Amino acid sequence: MNPPSFTTDLCLKCNICTAACPVAAVTDLFPGPKSIGPQAERFRHPRLPMPDVSVDWCSGCGTCSRVCPHGVAVAEINILAKGRLAKERHVPVRDRIISRPEILGRIASPLATFVNASIRLRSTRWLLEKTVGISRHAPLPSFTRTPLRKLFPDRCFDTPFDVEHDIDHTVAFFHGCSNNYYEPELGGLTIAILERLGFEVVIPPQMCCGLPLQSNGLFDAARRHAQANITWLAPFAKQGIPIVGTSTSCTLMLKHDYRTILGIQGEDVEMVAGSTYDFFEFLTFFMKDEIKRIEFNSLRAHALYHPPCKLRNHGIGVPALQILRRIPELQLHLSESECCGAGGTYGMKLDKFPVAYQVGQKLFSQIHQLKLDFVICDSETCRWWIAKHTDLPVYHPLEIMARAMDIQYNLHPESKGERQ
Amino acid sequence: MTEVLVVGAGLTGLFASLLAAEHGDAVTLVAQGHGGLGLCHGCIDIWGRATPSRALSRLRKSHPYRLAGTAALHAAVEFFDEITQQAKYPFSGSISRNLRLPTALGSIHPTALAPQSLAQGDLDDGTPFALAGIDNLRDFYPQLAASNLRHTGIAVQSVLELPIPLDGIRHDFSTSDLAQLFDQPNWREETARFWKPHMTGIKRLGLPAVLGLRDPQHVLEDMQQRLGVTLFEIPTLPPCLPGLRLEVILRRRALNTGVHLIEGPRAVGRIDGRSGGRRVSGVVLQTAGGPRIHTADVVILATGGILNGGIVFHQNGSVQESVFDIPVNYDEGRDCWTTASPIDSQPYSGYGIMVNDHMQTLDAKGAPIFENLYVAGGLLGGADRTMEGSRQGIDLATAYRAVEVALF
Repeated sequence: MNPPSFTTDLCLKCNICTAACPVAAVTDLFPGPKSIGPQAERFRHPRLPMPDVSVDWCSGCGTCSRVCPHGVAVAEINILAKGRLAKERHVPVRDRIISRPEILGRIASPLATFVNASIRLRSTRWLLEKTVGISRHAPLPSFTRTPLRKLFPDRCFDTPFDVEHDIDHTVAFFHGCSNNYYEPELGGLTIAILERLGFEVVIPPQMCCGLPLQSNGLFDAARRHAQANITWLAPFAKQGIPIVGTSTSCTLMLKHDYRTILGIQGEDVEMVAGSTYDFFEFLTFFMKDEIKRIEFNSLRAHALYHPPCKLRNHGIGVPALQILRRIPELQLHLSESECCGAGGTYGMKLDKFPVAYQVGQKLFSQIHQLKLDFVICDSETCRWWIAKHTDLPVYHPLEIMARAMDIQYNLHPESKGERQ
Repeated sequence: MTEVLVVGAGLTGLFASLLAAEHGDAVTLVAQGHGGLGLCHGCIDIWGRATPSRALSRLRKSHPYRLAGTAALHAAVEFFDEITQQAKYPFSGSISRNLRLPTALGSIHPTALAPQSLAQGDLDDGTPFALAGIDNLRDFYPQLAASNLRHTGIAVQSVLELPIPLDGIRHDFSTSDLAQLFDQPNWREETARFWKPHMTGIKRLGLPAVLGLRDPQHVLEDMQQRLGVTLFEIPTLPPCLPGLRLEVILRRRALNTGVHLIEGPRAVGRIDGRSGGRRVSGVVLQTAGGPRIHTADVVILATGGILNGGIVFHQNGSVQESVFDIPVNYDEGRDCWTTASPIDSQPYSGYGIMVNDHMQTLDAKGAPIFENLYVAGGLLGGADRTMEGSRQGIDLATAYRAVEVALF
């Protein structure tokens, strides 16, 4: 695989990426992916300081690479340049904190009740903004007291050889930080759906995919995360066990960024990349006929589906739509925006927040005009962001699928009686 | 329900997908990035030279128009009109007579169908007109356009440079930035206030095409009303709004009709199917995770010509079709590809895939190579689209013919 900078010569300067870039459309601070990517790359000498700092305003959504008809790795060039810039400059404390969701989760989950309550306080948010520069308008997730791995200890396996079941119907679940520390109920639902469809779900050892580190220019740390995940996941891939994830940005790391951006090479990373599937990609690819036979319950609601940028960058289309469209009475509107603006940790930063919010405006105004019951989006950071700025519930498509299949997962079984 | 796979999301691929989806078939549209629409003027050129209707019946038998047939061209144009009408972006003009529109260089572009905002610039319309550039917008020079038009004997009343309200953070605009601003009512109100004083004595005014992306017809009417002049747009360098608008309209309708769009991966090869390899059963896509298979009953190849990557010209003098490796009709040896004068008709522009009147590719004996593979648009050989002024007409007619044969 060639380094991304080798693709600069394929650029015809046609400006398709500039017209599609959600950030360049709202600010002068970012001159656009073509200028900053294939054009500026020619002035980035490996041994001289970076000539231009505007690449820092790239949100990393990856739209430019996806829309390029000539195969220029525009986004990859820009993310690598961002990494170089971070290395030359001082990486702020804030970026070092928000890029480690797993460590935050590990520290905060035992104290979840206290941490969640204090994050919700205005004074805490004001303090976080003034001291470290986390915008008080950005959504922060709530921590869980019981991480997913603790809820399903019997499904956690160190190697595939410990699994004594039908390998052909086994799926390895890459839950990511979000399912583990922030939304274990979503992880539980994922397992419940896969089990209903006849799969054995195993949870391999894993750590944060490393994307937040990579996006904040901390490439060495990101690479350590990548190496660890590859070592843990490769044995499962080699056994022919598909690796399935519900966080579209984590699965994209495994599929693409480990090789293309972090430059990791070898048989193991290739095996992991080729065996990784987005949840709905997996269902529509392996369960095509079974899915067609499912009779979904009707769901009388108006919803808008916004496929996150990172999902679109998988190059698999929008597989969840094929299932959502089959749910009777669900009135589905499609997002007309390339990006919601969140950009993972981008929108959390005090300096970046106004730009991120501007990017999202197009989506928010479409949502407001439609009078919806809820919004559907796969990526967790996008969901939190859209919910915060539209005051509507935002669900993962698998939550809607579960509802239409009467599948439930209750995080606190002991309180089940009380709720009903 | 037939499973249809369309490769390529330019005018041809989007149009073919829509036809198939509205017929009720399950359509997947695969495209490596956006198609060429945003690079084009957004009009429908059918035959750029004199009297189109007579010329079309006199073409060689191997010309895409002859293969698709006049009926397909008319049916395609009718469907195109319906799409643009419903999207509230109506086109003017007809197959039988060309409009003559000014270009950004001040040359004349003959075209059959144009959106109202461009058609109002028809040089055969007697109303005198002025041309205007916009401050802070690069790459549009009204002086240049005016002086070239005047050289050809066309009167340009005056040339203006119009100011725009700056919002503090933006100083440098591309056409697509400006268009998105024109979509907002407050921006239009404020801009109209800036422009109004410059409108004295002007009846018709030509501007670079920046008047809105999402609801351009409304933007046009609103600005005309505010300024009290007839406005017309001139297509610019890419990003070119009239093309982008068509792309938005076709995509939106395709997605809402249920077309599954897979954007990004390159189609890298074919999967052979039944009947002794005379059918294709799908394509291999180079996705983020690696090659993935996509199967279909019918495949429509609309990857475009040389500029769009459907055909690749190699250093060693060979010419290849990029997905299925179908034989391309071309001249051996790089020396014969071009002529000495760059503004003459170039041999290479006629290179492409040769098909029968069912849009199926042909082997050396003239039999279809694959029964369920159809080719349409810029990938087809046998036409010099630049010299003929026939690009979009061929795209629409051949897309229509391919879908008609495959599905109707």
